[in-house]
Amino acid sequence: MRKGSQIVLECLRAEGVDLVFGYPGGAIMPLYDALAGSGVRHILTRHEQGAVFAAEGYARVTGKVGVAMATSGPGATNLVTGIADAKMDSVPLVCLTGQVRSALIGSDAFQETDVFGLTLSMTKWSRLVKSIQEIPEVIAEGFHWAQSGRPGPVVIDIPTDMLKASIEFSGPVTFRAHARPADAKAEPAFTDTVIALLQQAKKPVVLVGAGAKLSGAIPELRQLLDQLNLPTFATVHGLGAVEPELPYYLGMVGMHGTRAANMALHETDLLLVFGARLDDRVTGDPSRFAPDAKIVHFEIDPGQLDRVRPCQLPVIGDLAETVPAFQTELRRASLPDFSGWRAAACGPERAELDPRGLAQPTIRLLDELFSRLPENSVIVADVGQHQMWAAQRYHSSSPRGFITSGGLGAMGFALPAAIGIQLAKPETTVLCVSGDGGIQMNIQELATIRRLGLPIKTVIIDNKYLGMVRQWQQLFYKRNYAETDLSDNPDFVEIAKAYRIPGFRLNEDAMREYPVARETGDQLDRFLTSTEPELLVFDCHPEANVYPMVPAGAALSEMLFEEE
Amino acid sequence: MRILTAASRRGIETPYVQAEPCGHEHKVTLRMEVNQRQLGQLSRDWYAIVDVMDVHPAIAMQAIGEQTRTARTIPATTPHPPAPAVSSSDPVGQQALA
Repeated sequence: MRKGSQIVLECLRAEGVDLVFGYPGGAIMPLYDALAGSGVRHILTRHEQGAVFAAEGYARVTGKVGVAMATSGPGATNLVTGIADAKMDSVPLVCLTGQVRSALIGSDAFQETDVFGLTLSMTKWSRLVKSIQEIPEVIAEGFHWAQSGRPGPVVIDIPTDMLKASIEFSGPVTFRAHARPADAKAEPAFTDTVIALLQQAKKPVVLVGAGAKLSGAIPELRQLLDQLNLPTFATVHGLGAVEPELPYYLGMVGMHGTRAANMALHETDLLLVFGARLDDRVTGDPSRFAPDAKIVHFEIDPGQLDRVRPCQLPVIGDLAETVPAFQTELRRASLPDFSGWRAAACGPERAELDPRGLAQPTIRLLDELFSRLPENSVIVADVGQHQMWAAQRYHSSSPRGFITSGGLGAMGFALPAAIGIQLAKPETTVLCVSGDGGIQMNIQELATIRRLGLPIKTVIIDNKYLGMVRQWQQLFYKRNYAETDLSDNPDFVEIAKAYRIPGFRLNEDAMREYPVARETGDQLDRFLTSTEPELLVFDCHPEANVYPMVPAGAALSEMLFEEE
Repeated sequence: MRILTAASRRGIETPYVQAEPCGHEHKVTLRMEVNQRQLGQLSRDWYAIVDVMDVHPAIAMQAIGEQTRTARTIPATTPHPPAPAVSSSDPVGQQALA
């Protein structure tokens, strides 16, 4: 005989899970009671949102399913932001929530919420378990959907009585999905059409998104890009998929993308998209997005096609299959000479990204830190100005080396995500870049970091504002800085000290000298190489802005380079 | 349920929902007033639901002189799922090259 809680844990082990993140409470206590000796290590965060972001960090950096668990009611509702985040960014995630006893469901019992109902629109799949017998099937199916096709979040809500009850258990099961009649994939002959489109084109370009990493087809894609030798750029989640030093690579595209990438995308007549969903931060005004272009969209999820702009040629399938097929045929094809277009598109980047220079010391700090990082380090950025500066300055070819909440833009993501990343990659340097707003949304996770002794390096870019909102207020709301002032921030170094984490502060003057003063360089070296967690607070100018910037609703060609 | 949240997130009223067995599956019929863009969005969202087997949008047309509405399946303009790329001689390929 096995209890439901033991069955859950055995099924998790069968799915390869050895690490979960969570926070206990009434309805899920039986599962916690069964943890000891189960082979599943539990990481206690200090808030359920910390648990789900940590699970996401683990999943994003490994490609494996991240698991978070919480109790019913407030425990489950605190997971919701992470679930929505995983949906937007295609993160394989399974959330296990305790639910009140089956007999009490619907009675407004203590700590009862309709978790199934409230997460319906943001999960890829979910179930409220109705009998102990179905636990193995539900867990197997949940893990299947979390990681198949376009990955996403799954919620499994288990009433506490089913965790307590016992049955004869014959072992975990496997799940096989039925094929859908409409799940058509591109036929190999699609390559004829793409090549014919390339032969017609004068200004073709390539956009690389997160799908390139998720498919595991980075080597094949890189070979294909070399074959194509076309102006190429990446979304924020595509960073690292393309080797940044390549002469045809133009950097990040979109709202805070490079001038060269945005202009090439605006001028192109043929856009090849590999695994990007073309959201509004990438396209700007959809009606003026790549206005002269035909679009060939390589995409695993047919649900993402034609969302913003109709594509002329949908190539449906896993990039791991479609890219090699295209590569093979491309070797036999003869393409026009695009060298003139390439030279025009890949010209020198406009140097004065921030003419007023207010952001320069911060950018300099990021450059100094990033250049000191060992290969295959992971940078995890929170949400806001520092996120975009970090993305702009990220010049690594490590595909899973830049982690951030891109689609949902959830402040508070970085610190707990860094915990999941560091646990997944104990030998890797993990640099968490946050802002003074975002860090305070999950600052309690410093306690988790301290307890586990994780050597996470946290940088707070402290401009004493909710910086990105303030930037928009400056540019589009006549400097009406409504409720974005954080000038009474606490002393973050002292807070870290209270968690027994050492910290220090640098101001902008430290980044004005070139090269940086020896003492400053030594401080940064020591910071990045110490085996203990540590915090660096950097005083950023309150009115430093991220440029270039495409205003919301503008075309990509309408970038701002300074306040107008 | 996920079928309905695709409509509710867009504030689209769904005055008629019918679910009935259809072989080993279920057939769900919804009636709602949508424009072409919403129809495309809904079709994509519905198709993205992992246990939805297929989506068949239909359009209700007000026939001239008739009091009742009749339904017909949208022919070539069905918004989703799109036909995947095949070859340059295929209609999808030819349309892309046109």
